[in-house]
Amino acid sequence: MGLIARTIEAAGIATISSIGLKAIAEKVRPPRVIHLKSPFGHPLGEPFNRAQQLSVVHDALRALYTIEELGTILEPGWAWRRQTYVEPEDWSLP
Amino acid sequence: MPALARRWGRRFDALTFAEMPFTPLRKPLRACCLALITTGGVHLREQPPFAMNDPRGDPSYRVIPADTPYVRLTITHDYYDHRDAERDLNILFPLELFRDLARRGQIGSLATCYSFMGHIEPPHVTTLLRRIAPQVAGVLKQEQVEAVLLTPA
Repeated sequence: MGLIARTIEAAGIATISSIGLKAIAEKVRPPRVIHLKSPFGHPLGEPFNRAQQLSVVHDALRALYTIEELGTILEPGWAWRRQTYVEPEDWSLP
Repeated sequence: MPALARRWGRRFDALTFAEMPFTPLRKPLRACCLALITTGGVHLREQPPFAMNDPRGDPSYRVIPADTPYVRLTITHDYYDHRDAERDLNILFPLELFRDLARRGQIGSLATCYSFMGHIEPPHVTTLLRRIAPQVAGVLKQEQVEAVLLTPA
């Protein structure tokens, strides 16, 4: 994953990787990471929780603009199942 | 840390580089062409599944057209529990969500997407690094993709 992200980034395309486990993000080191503390197989949330999935996607896409330092691991601080998610309305990024 | 994560961590040591490239995204999102890449083993039902009999992994990839309906997709990957992703692919490879965003003009467009299986060990890492990853980066450039969301398992 990190290798693929870095190769794409080196070709002049911005990348954001959504990774559940910080230890993995720190090892594979993609250029930009959003870290969710989610279980394997759930990089964008839980099945049929559209508000959660879109909240994570929104955070990930915003991180394409806000992360300025290479190797940043962004922690949006979502509380996973204990969080109430609202579908984001404003997608005018940056 | 779970044992699986520790094992993955050790495996990924080989891929840690001191220097990394960085490409700022300057265009507004509503004008950007985006692509999705997963390493969760997703593929079209008629495409060959990823090779699970090679313990060093399968460095190949599958091309997934942006308009592919979820019923035409499946997952071949023995190293993680993908039952939830099979119920709702939006948690792993969100083609539907991104098609919605494109339809509403919130992103510019969704380009052709790509799927890998991850879990790649030497000597396949070299194949991925020297041949496969540059090839995919090249077609993304050709299709004028400006940003990519990557989702591992």
